[in-house]
Amino acid sequence: MKEPSIIEEFLKGIYRENPIFVIVLGLCPTLAVSTQVVNALGMGAGVIFVLLGSNFFVSLLRNFIPEKIRIPAYIVIIASFVTVVDLFMQAYSPSLSKSLGVFVQLIVVNCIILGRAEAFAKKNTVARSVLDGLGMGVGFTLALILIALIREVLGAGTITLFPMGSFSGVIKIPILVSAPVRVMGLAAGALLVIGYLKAFFNWLDVKGKEKKINSRIRKSQSPQKVSV
Amino acid sequence: MKKILIMGGKLFLITAIASILLGFVDSFTEPVIKARKARELKEALTSLIPEGKPGKLVPVSGNSVVPGYYNVKKDGKLLGYILDLRGTGYGGELKILAGYKRNGEIIAVKLMDNEETPGLGKKAEKPEYMKKFIGTGGKKAVPVRKGMLSRKDADAVTGASITFMGLANALDTGSKFVKNLRSKP
Repeated sequence: MKEPSIIEEFLKGIYRENPIFVIVLGLCPTLAVSTQVVNALGMGAGVIFVLLGSNFFVSLLRNFIPEKIRIPAYIVIIASFVTVVDLFMQAYSPSLSKSLGVFVQLIVVNCIILGRAEAFAKKNTVARSVLDGLGMGVGFTLALILIALIREVLGAGTITLFPMGSFSGVIKIPILVSAPVRVMGLAAGALLVIGYLKAFFNWLDVKGKEKKINSRIRKSQSPQKVSV
Repeated sequence: MKKILIMGGKLFLITAIASILLGFVDSFTEPVIKARKARELKEALTSLIPEGKPGKLVPVSGNSVVPGYYNVKKDGKLLGYILDLRGTGYGGELKILAGYKRNGEIIAVKLMDNEETPGLGKKAEKPEYMKKFIGTGGKKAVPVRKGMLSRKDADAVTGASITFMGLANALDTGSKFVKNLRSKP
């Protein structure tokens, strides 16, 4: 099998192997923190950092860590990075740390991170693992932002970003802000949004494949026509 | 046997390096976090009863809801109390600071450290949320059930009833605690 190009290693996490919509890993924090766009951004940044760090070290130590104790070793590496993120957030971004609450610590058990260590970093080079981690992290973040955007706009009628200068950080959407679809803000809404988005991406995928097959059939048919 | 020792040794090495690094990071962030917490506490205390000056924390033993309180005085006269309260929310413990008048009426409430769900129970950190409790605890009872709230307030706690109940019960206990303080000499 041909090795995928370096750009492809990064891009695959964003669409073709998106952790949430395609691999379906790490749904628990996705359900929990996708209530506001700002939480999605903060959580995404945390996950990208931890993924980069854990993929780097797991890949670097892949010949050092014995097969039998790889899981505890990975957990120690991952937990260390999560603790670093948690401490830094508490010290320098207390409001974000407050609104994400326990979900920062729960990045430790986020399946995406252990999943990438186990499925990718332990058998690939450091450079590829870092790119994989970055791509998966960005893919996770983009998916999280998309879900949070839909949920917050429909469920609360607002878009919450970081406050900057005179801008309070909250964009209010008329009509929806006074009569929000509250279920979207609750757990049931998260499942509905993720379900519909997954269906949508599957539909896109199937459509794309059909197009490819159709064009191949057309190509294979056209020379026959000429010969007839 | 040798294999196990090697594995154990390697795992030990990884954990040891990780702990050293974490200790290093912690030595940087800990003073920042501590300073922030102290500042937040001071701000919260002064914002609860702005007219008075809170004294030192008076520890209360054997009370799981009220571990301590502050006497708030103005020109030597006791204005009221700020209670350090512990409630039980959806995600675990709720740390609450609440200012009370001497008759047990709630002046202001602030939710401090908590592990509530972002977007749901976390909403209780906003000042508007606490409006429904202010002025209760004296003649008016503290609303400890959703049925005791106005329709609008009840709607606002939908989806986070457990946070509301945890807060309300702690505040109610606090109010009774304050009334008891007064009856003592």
